[in-house]
Amino acid sequence: MTVRTRLARVVALGAALALALPLTACGDGDPAAGQDEIRILVYGDATNKVEKQLVDTFNKTSKVKAVLDTIPGADYQTKLQTIINTKQAPDVFFNWGGGSITPFVKADLLLPLDDMIAKDPGLKANFLPSVFNTAVVDGKAYGVPMRGTQPVLLFHNKKVLADAGITPPRTWDDLLTAVKTLKGKGITPIALGGGDQWPTQMWYQYLYDRVAGPELFAKALGGDKGAWESPESRRALELLRQLTDAGAFGTNFDSVKFTDGGSPTLLSSGKAGFELMGSWNYSTHHDANPTFAAEGLGWSAFPSVPGGKGDPRNVVGNTNNFYSVLKKTRHPEAVAEFLKLQYSDEFVQAQLAIGNLPTTTNTEKFLDGATNPDYLKYQFTLVKEAPSFQLSWDQAYPPAATTTIHQAVQQYCNGRLDAAGFIKAMQSLQAG
Amino acid sequence: MSTTTLAARSVPEQRRARRSPGGPTLSRPGFAWALPATLFFGLFALAPLVLVVVLSFTSWAGLGSPEFVGLDNWQRLARDPVMINSLWLSVLLTALGVLVQTPLSLLIGVWAAGPQRNRAVLSAIFFLPLLLSATAVSVLWRALLDPNFGVPGQAPWLFGDGNLFGSRTGAIAVLVFVGSWQFIPFHALIYQGAARAVPAVLYQAAEVDGAGRWGQFRHVTLPQLRNAMITSVVLMVVGGLTTFDTVLILTQGGPGTDTTITAYHMYEQAFRSFDFGAGAAIALLLVVVATVISLIVVRVSGYDRMRSTMEGL
Repeated sequence: MTVRTRLARVVALGAALALALPLTACGDGDPAAGQDEIRILVYGDATNKVEKQLVDTFNKTSKVKAVLDTIPGADYQTKLQTIINTKQAPDVFFNWGGGSITPFVKADLLLPLDDMIAKDPGLKANFLPSVFNTAVVDGKAYGVPMRGTQPVLLFHNKKVLADAGITPPRTWDDLLTAVKTLKGKGITPIALGGGDQWPTQMWYQYLYDRVAGPELFAKALGGDKGAWESPESRRALELLRQLTDAGAFGTNFDSVKFTDGGSPTLLSSGKAGFELMGSWNYSTHHDANPTFAAEGLGWSAFPSVPGGKGDPRNVVGNTNNFYSVLKKTRHPEAVAEFLKLQYSDEFVQAQLAIGNLPTTTNTEKFLDGATNPDYLKYQFTLVKEAPSFQLSWDQAYPPAATTTIHQAVQQYCNGRLDAAGFIKAMQSLQAG
Repeated sequence: MSTTTLAARSVPEQRRARRSPGGPTLSRPGFAWALPATLFFGLFALAPLVLVVVLSFTSWAGLGSPEFVGLDNWQRLARDPVMINSLWLSVLLTALGVLVQTPLSLLIGVWAAGPQRNRAVLSAIFFLPLLLSATAVSVLWRALLDPNFGVPGQAPWLFGDGNLFGSRTGAIAVLVFVGSWQFIPFHALIYQGAARAVPAVLYQAAEVDGAGRWGQFRHVTLPQLRNAMITSVVLMVVGGLTTFDTVLILTQGGPGTDTTITAYHMYEQAFRSFDFGAGAAIALLLVVVATVISLIVVRVSGYDRMRSTMEGL
């Protein structure tokens, strides 16, 4: 071997080692951090302003300091899943209650809040029960509401309805008549962002609740596969078929999305009469077209159905977001103090100021001072008086079920699946 | 490989090589030179691949430690109708991509190889999509193809009710179209380069023999572009089988599962359903299928014993 090639080998080896070195350096983490702090992990969006403010308030008086971490946007659940059982796990984290925390409860990672509630009953009593119950798993409370509630409402374009001589439907027959009238005028009766799939799911959630009450879905979620093939289930599917057969959503709804502004524009431009959507729809319209949000946008509760067992006051949607606590937190007392802030007056006012509707019992007295008191009061009363607040199906089930649910609701709605196919798909889900 | 003359080698170099037949064999640098690259490849390609193999025999949701479940994931895959369908879809989309993109990029590339200034300007504009990320391209087309407020809303005579993303045929057509829009410039570039390397003497000879424009294209250009075509098709096949971003943004595998190609199905299983075991199994299957198809293409096309197109010159 010549000197030249030996030199080359040495150089190459050196380069390889240099490249490999930084790789071995990671993975150790810094053990010094995290002694006297609690880390709070939240979904990164505009509401972080309020979370930051509350953390600052907490840190003014607490010896243990709270640190707020945010994970931006849609990656939240994925990132959370990958860190929750590692050293980087937070002490307190944002979630959607229900199925979003069930796997963590089953893996024995979360702290039941019952002891904290025993010490401070306000941690439970100061929240609307229908909302608080979303984060109860196997009879134990695992979360405290920490943002605003988002019930699903039947929105309409006031001008389109007035021109057609229609009032917001109170019964299923009213809705079918309205659909017929609007279709006759060449207007898509109901805007549906079927491309996003979850807007389609909202119709199922309400129809199942109105036809059978919340029990049917609760049974199905608990693992009773017979629930999906019950007569009530078939009846709900039949009602939805009536609607699609009547041309309520037009023909191209699966190409329309809510998230890219497609279906909201249909409603605001008067090309559609109704849209079933979460309460965030108001801010969506407010951002795109403030005049329409203030003057043209109307809303009502989902109509009752003939012979339905469900209470017409029931609502569905996202009950709220929750803070849950990791079992291995070193500062449970500090965490309890932090959670108490979630029903403080400061919290309620800060949330209302950015357009969220908190679900604490003291919310009501601040509603008059909010920017759109009519809309907020309507929602708050609706949620407060609702005997049941059904969490969205895709959030009630663990994340593993989401894809199957979304595909099934889309495919039955557009006719690719018949009732039997839909039932079979839903029966394939693992219990929540 | 080492004994055949590579097509990519420039002409003067070949001439030089021929002038010293049977000369000293090229001394190749030692393995040590390849060490950094090998290490990188090992760490970022082989090690993850091994981990994926291991993971495919476990059940893991990202919580706790992976649990060994034997062939469970594989048996479930074999019974999963979405999985089997997704393989066909991947192959279908790839085949459609090759069929649409090859003739178009061939024609554009050969046209753009001409020396005229207007061609240079136009091809510069035409290559713009190449500079955009797949994400940007997909978001753009999603908006342009909105049934009510996009192009289909303005041209009902062509698109009907505009339900492009709501029907199987429509969604597949959109994916093929957007993929072609994005990648034809790249393949045209390959053909342009190859077409420019065709020696002018061949055309002069063909002209003397009385070949017209078409005859020259058919009998000179096409045979000369054979190796470029193989390269381009192999790239299209591998790229097509691993397409992911356009599907994620344009159709999310929908309507239903109509455009759930294998790569997207893997994403759904692993990162939506948190079933990393099943996701790993799908990933492995995709690796095997893509490798086998690439090998078949290489064999059938003769890429592995690629002849120079310069023989006899």
